[in-house]
Amino acid sequence: MSDQGKTKLTRRDFLRAMGLGVGAAAITVAASPLGSETALAVNPSFEARHFADAAGRPQRPWWVKTVDQPTIEIDWAKMKRFNEGYKEELGTGTVRGKGFEAYVGTARTEELNAKSAAVIKDGILNNVPGYTLKDQAMNSSQSTRVAMSFLGPQKAKTPEEYGAPKWSGTPDEASRILRAALRHNGAATVGFVELDENTRKLIYSFDPDGKELVFTDDVVASETETQRLIPNIAKYAIVYTVQMSEETMRRSPTPLGQQTTGLAYKRHTVIQASIQEFLRTMGYMGLGASNINALAIAPAFGVLAGLGEMSRLNRMITPEFGPMVRCFVMLTDMPVATDKPIDAGIMEFCKRCKKCAEACATGALSFEDDPTWETRGPWNNPGHKAYFEDSTKCMTYWKEVGTNCGICFSVCPFAKKDKAWIHEWVKAGASTAPFVDGFFRSMDDALGYGAQKDCEEWWTLDLPEYGTDSSGMI
Amino acid sequence: MSEKYVIEIEKRPWYEWLLWAVWLFTQVVIVQNALASSAELEPRAALISWIAFFALLIVGGVIWFMRRSK
Repeated sequence: MSDQGKTKLTRRDFLRAMGLGVGAAAITVAASPLGSETALAVNPSFEARHFADAAGRPQRPWWVKTVDQPTIEIDWAKMKRFNEGYKEELGTGTVRGKGFEAYVGTARTEELNAKSAAVIKDGILNNVPGYTLKDQAMNSSQSTRVAMSFLGPQKAKTPEEYGAPKWSGTPDEASRILRAALRHNGAATVGFVELDENTRKLIYSFDPDGKELVFTDDVVASETETQRLIPNIAKYAIVYTVQMSEETMRRSPTPLGQQTTGLAYKRHTVIQASIQEFLRTMGYMGLGASNINALAIAPAFGVLAGLGEMSRLNRMITPEFGPMVRCFVMLTDMPVATDKPIDAGIMEFCKRCKKCAEACATGALSFEDDPTWETRGPWNNPGHKAYFEDSTKCMTYWKEVGTNCGICFSVCPFAKKDKAWIHEWVKAGASTAPFVDGFFRSMDDALGYGAQKDCEEWWTLDLPEYGTDSSGMI
Repeated sequence: MSEKYVIEIEKRPWYEWLLWAVWLFTQVVIVQNALASSAELEPRAALISWIAFFALLIVGGVIWFMRRSK
């Protein structure tokens, strides 16, 4: 009788309630015209908080571990500064621009260029999805960029012009302020690396336009007809990423897919010029890339700054956005607090996954089980272990399809949006239990991730600004 | 003279409750995955998640129905 008056929950009631609860949730969700607008889904919404530490470093997931050395081996003694612009006398350089012609021959280049133009024209005339006039127009819209320069616009007032001393503070404060400024201008993640005798080797010897990058004891940066002079006091690299839209990248290789990278580069030109002016008003120099893919090997700096890890793509993959970022570098003399590399299990995952290499239409990516020291050609820079790619095969395919290609980016299992809880658990699992990486890869295939999407459908989507979502971001 | 009936009620072991809790948690995760996959514009992942959800729901319902009279 002692239980009299108390409400007792029987097992039957409990089970019934459980079943009804789950069923009701399912019906509610199914009945909702926008299933995502429920409490169970992560709603994209504005989320503000303070930086996690004095230097503005983000609070990253527990499975992203800070380490002293990156997850690829580097032999600094064997590494040399790379000439990004192809140099005939050296026989090395990027496959972009003159390099491709030098590596595959003039006749082949002309043949491929003609083919590329024909594919684009045919796509427009025949309304090939992804190649229609509106897709090409979208691609064209990304070619409008803020002028890029090594020294920056130099229109902002300096502290002297305000009659004030230049900004001073601790390295932590400087990093935090720069992070805030960069994020506000559109950067996704930010890190800092100090230039020493090793990391200087990641600054190009020659820019893509052929100008030599020279370190100097001058205290002011300058530029001549043949050289860009970097003062030795500009010994800090600011590294940042700009998000790319997975939705358009998943439509690669098409002009609609191609403009994904174009948009990221365009946004970078605005960010770079803005931060150059920001630093100028603070009383410091901000040395930027004079054009696209100039100044430094940005992904290498990104890895050293802990923004991500190198991968089978031979590009950087971030824990937050996977490979769906572009990475950029600037130099400054503002003393900042530097960052360390990370180990999030990404490189280990790449060893087992190989999805990008399998998806690559031309077999340009490596199928080796482990990264190697051996490069695949003079377009690769030796001195570190990597999954080196055959860039001529890659570039040949670009020309055959008339656009660039992003298949390897879009099929990557790390290229996920952050809505489903399971993605975070899988990333944590990949970081801590590499033996299940194979299972994760199989599930990724089974669930249809990475499959090319319908280009015409994209024009019906109501997407966030720039087609990206930074709400869940650090 | 009234007849007497003996009703035996089997006490379910603790691990059965644990299994039902795991079932419920799995269902919640699968529903979240289905919803989130729709938000991520991943229709195949969403479809497979919904199929898994309803399959598990039916399995759970059948087991519950079979055992309720025990």
